[in-house]
Amino acid sequence: MTINKNLEADKLTVAVEGRLDTSTAPELEKELADLSGIKELVLDFEKLEYVSSAGLRVLLASQKIMNGQGKMLIKHVNETIMEVFEITGFADILTIE
Amino acid sequence: MDMHCQMIMDEFLQNHASFEKMRDLVVNEIKKLLSENGMAVTAVEARVKEEKSLAGKLELKGGKYSTLSDITDILGARVITFYSDEVDKIASLVEKTFEIDWENSVDKRKALDPDQFGYMSLHYICRIPKSMYYDETHPELNEYRFEIQMRTALQHVWATAYHDTGYKSDVEVPKEYIRALSRLAGVLEIADQQFSQIIGELAEYRRKVRTLIKNGKFEDLFLDGDTFNSYLELQPFAKLNAKIASINKAEIQKQSLQPYLAIFKTLGLRSLADIQNMIKEYSDDAYRLAVLQIGGTDLDILAETIGVQNLCTVYIIKHGYGEAGLKAFLDMLYGERDRNLNSAKRIMEQARTIDIYGE
Repeated sequence: MTINKNLEADKLTVAVEGRLDTSTAPELEKELADLSGIKELVLDFEKLEYVSSAGLRVLLASQKIMNGQGKMLIKHVNETIMEVFEITGFADILTIE
Repeated sequence: MDMHCQMIMDEFLQNHASFEKMRDLVVNEIKKLLSENGMAVTAVEARVKEEKSLAGKLELKGGKYSTLSDITDILGARVITFYSDEVDKIASLVEKTFEIDWENSVDKRKALDPDQFGYMSLHYICRIPKSMYYDETHPELNEYRFEIQMRTALQHVWATAYHDTGYKSDVEVPKEYIRALSRLAGVLEIADQQFSQIIGELAEYRRKVRTLIKNGKFEDLFLDGDTFNSYLELQPFAKLNAKIASINKAEIQKQSLQPYLAIFKTLGLRSLADIQNMIKEYSDDAYRLAVLQIGGTDLDILAETIGVQNLCTVYIIKHGYGEAGLKAFLDMLYGERDRNLNSAKRIMEQARTIDIYGE
């Protein structure tokens, strides 16, 4: 999995490539550990192929943090990942563009 | 200004900081009282009389006062409530907290003749009790009296409008305007009563709803915000959620079920009994759909909405609303977007594989 971060003022864009699963989720978790001062977190999933439960937990934790300080938006979600969000009910929790 | 009045004015100016300190103590104490008793009001405000205003008062009736202590509105606080019955509740809290000078306190609501309409407010003349605050270097903080006015927002509007006419008493107001202002006071009094009545009836309705739900009388309860919220306290979808979670031994994440009130209404459900019937009739199919969707995956974390989401899905398919119905459902859940049609098609296909069809 590859993670690219871009910080512009208080907007952090994180582009994630590959698979977000048990083995890679801790890496994303580490990258999103410090969201202090961030008002807008954008997760770009254009090149992300799959999300497992471990990935969902990282997204949920970030969503909870951002609920208290701004907003979190997930962009460019493919059909496979959208299905995961829908069948787990996470499409209700997350804001997906 | 004569020498006597000047002495009172000097005392005022020397003690101005003390009145400001009293103002802060009184406002903070009132706000604390309201917070501790879970009461919301329109405003809590207070002011120390302006020098110019005091000078005017002394000019008019300075001879009436021996010392500054005789003037009870140097510090004035005001609590403006939403509803008329809250005035008495706040008065009761004020009585328990401050020392009340009953002789000089006045309930202007009762001061009017039965056929008169005008200024309505409750005025208490108070002192800060030592038990609340005491500073031995400033004993005057417990000696000077101050006024707390309590009234509703509508009474406040009337009083402010009256004050803006510039007249200090009824006798100064031209007759036709007295009549117009009195008429308006009557209308606002009716409005205050109506607001209190509506709030009282709503509280009674909510009590009734809770009792009916507790006793399982769902058929008598039409779907609205109150009935739905009370119904959710029973966790009606918890059993189905637990069954779906057991597929992958998943944990359930809390999530608001509020959006489903609008969805249920769109689906034509009218009462809580309709939701109960939906749960009874479609839970098995909702579970089978979940097995197909998450069985065989590693997905062991689910939102609390999963059960009701699948129930609505099955309901829509079984009622023959098809892809268009599912798309409309997903649009309500996630916002209107083209990709919801793909999701609707996928769900329809999945449903067909487990023999869930439109009836």
